[in-house]
Amino acid sequence: MAAVAFPDQFKRETHTINGLKTTVLSAGKGEPLVFMHGAGIWHGINFAVPWTQKFRVIIPLHPGFGEADDDPAMSEIHDYVMHYLDLFDALGLDKFHLVGFSLGGLLAANFAVEHGHRIHRLVLVGPAGLRGKERPKGDFFLLPPEEIPGMLVSNFDVIKQFLPENPKDLDFMGERYREGGTLARLLWEHPYDTKLPRYLHRLTMPTLLVWGEDDKLLSVQNADIWRQYLPKAELQTFKGAGHLVLDEKREAVDAVQRFLS
Amino acid sequence: MSGDVRFDFIHFMHYTHLPDDHKKYASLWVDFPNKHFDPERGRALYERYLSELILADKLGFDGIIVNEHHNTAYSLMPAPNLIAASLIPQTRNAKICVWGTPPNLEYPNRLAEEYAMLDVLSGGRLEVAFPLGTGMEYWANPINPASARARYRESIDIILQAWTQDGPTTYYGDFYTYRYLNPWPRPFQKPHPPCYIVGTGSPETIDIAARLGFGYASVFVTKQRARELNEKLRRTAAEYGHHMRPEQFPLQVITYVAETEERAREEAVDHIRYFFEDALRTTPTFLAPPGYLSVEQLKARAALADKLHGKFSFDNVNESFFVAVGTPDQVVERLEEWGETMGTNHFVFLGAPGNMPNWKVVKNMNFLAHDVMPRMRARAASQRRVAAE
Repeated sequence: MAAVAFPDQFKRETHTINGLKTTVLSAGKGEPLVFMHGAGIWHGINFAVPWTQKFRVIIPLHPGFGEADDDPAMSEIHDYVMHYLDLFDALGLDKFHLVGFSLGGLLAANFAVEHGHRIHRLVLVGPAGLRGKERPKGDFFLLPPEEIPGMLVSNFDVIKQFLPENPKDLDFMGERYREGGTLARLLWEHPYDTKLPRYLHRLTMPTLLVWGEDDKLLSVQNADIWRQYLPKAELQTFKGAGHLVLDEKREAVDAVQRFLS
Repeated sequence: MSGDVRFDFIHFMHYTHLPDDHKKYASLWVDFPNKHFDPERGRALYERYLSELILADKLGFDGIIVNEHHNTAYSLMPAPNLIAASLIPQTRNAKICVWGTPPNLEYPNRLAEEYAMLDVLSGGRLEVAFPLGTGMEYWANPINPASARARYRESIDIILQAWTQDGPTTYYGDFYTYRYLNPWPRPFQKPHPPCYIVGTGSPETIDIAARLGFGYASVFVTKQRARELNEKLRRTAAEYGHHMRPEQFPLQVITYVAETEERAREEAVDHIRYFFEDALRTTPTFLAPPGYLSVEQLKARAALADKLHGKFSFDNVNESFFVAVGTPDQVVERLEEWGETMGTNHFVFLGAPGNMPNWKVVKNMNFLAHDVMPRMRARAASQRRVAAE
């Protein structure tokens, strides 16, 4: 498969965890900052470059996404928590900052609920996975694939460079379809985590919620649902930014950095 | 062609009273608003469609086939077993073929029970197929498409266990736990009704058919691909120790017979057009929910999609798929040729396509029953005699 071009300063390492090959990108020096990406990594990680000035930024690719192997047996979020326990052991990571975006936000929250003592500070960026009173707006599966890129951003130019010229590019379609299958294994039955709210009180570490005010996929109102369960969490929202708030707004990237410093 | 020739008639029971502006809907499946269903018209269609299947039995077709789809004007049969049950007392000889309920959409023990009921009720006339179900069914039913194939394999195993092993037995699977698998009644036919897989040729379903020695009917694939699939299944089944018989390869043919070729085309083409352009109209996303297909299959189907679901051209369809529209002579010739190339003697007439009115369906069935089937049966019988001498 065509590998996404990641910024030069990121080192690419392959790790085999339980027989499953995955890629870990890392750059920078300082306290470790683990970033858990969303349900796709095709839009790159350019936003993470400023963080490398102060942190050792570690971005593992989730199984079933990008270059990482598939494992059809990983059928629930907890399987990813267990995968990351093994991977962090392999990387010798004990305590770190954890930043999770979208699906990665849901993973990060689950990891932190179970292994909070390993997390200094937690940032959830447009996290997926909590159910509101209304029909969940964030049902990714209802979106026709060709509409997804447009739903991710406020300013389309931000991601245009990562999209194929031909919107019916078979390889791109195939890769996104594969990642959709990975996501379906986790979230088809419920596009939200029914158990997580019971345990969110365990997130006692300093926690920041970041949201794009023009998020068309998971509207900024979702932040209120998270704050019901995380009353002490700080919330920062950004005007003129969609779901990919980190890709769209340098201010959001800086806000994360300030929070973690 | 050797052995008895077999002729079945398949009915999709389309709901054909579409609103005038129906073309504005990208799909007549999944999300096509059900306010467009009129129960009065629905009742009349059921009555008419059932009468056509009953006529097929009277005219000497060997089997009548019904199938299952959900959320769609394509089909009035979300529960084909109900249709099969109502056909049983109104027919005498034809095999009742339920092609069928996707095992994933029912509890496997319940499907084993329902099919056993139909088999007992009909005195052993039931035949069944186990489809995975189209992608559309997974948008309409609460089953995860990403684990559909694994669940499907398990469901079939449970059904076969329920039919073939004296109960109570147990089953501890990945999807289902049965502490007392002991369904009543049990099938009339032993060990169980003839089984088929109906599919579009994904490697997984071919493998299941080969492993279990089931028949296989490929649908909505091109002629070339259908032939490759039959050959592949024959080879793979042999590896599992099964010798596939010709009648295990039902060949579905869009058929319309009339006095002249010109007339046959004139009478049939608009309805075949409706079948491809309207009844089958759906979106790529509905066809392929996430995880339902392998990436390779997704790409292969994207390439075929235009043929099946795009702009209709009778010449293209006639060229790509099994279509026999013409005089009795022409239809016999085509069927015999395809019987040879596909290695089958089992033909399934898709003879009521789209919005074809009753009089044409009846005309078509009469031509088939009087001018096509007897000739092919006689020819096959004389070939058998020659072979025996």
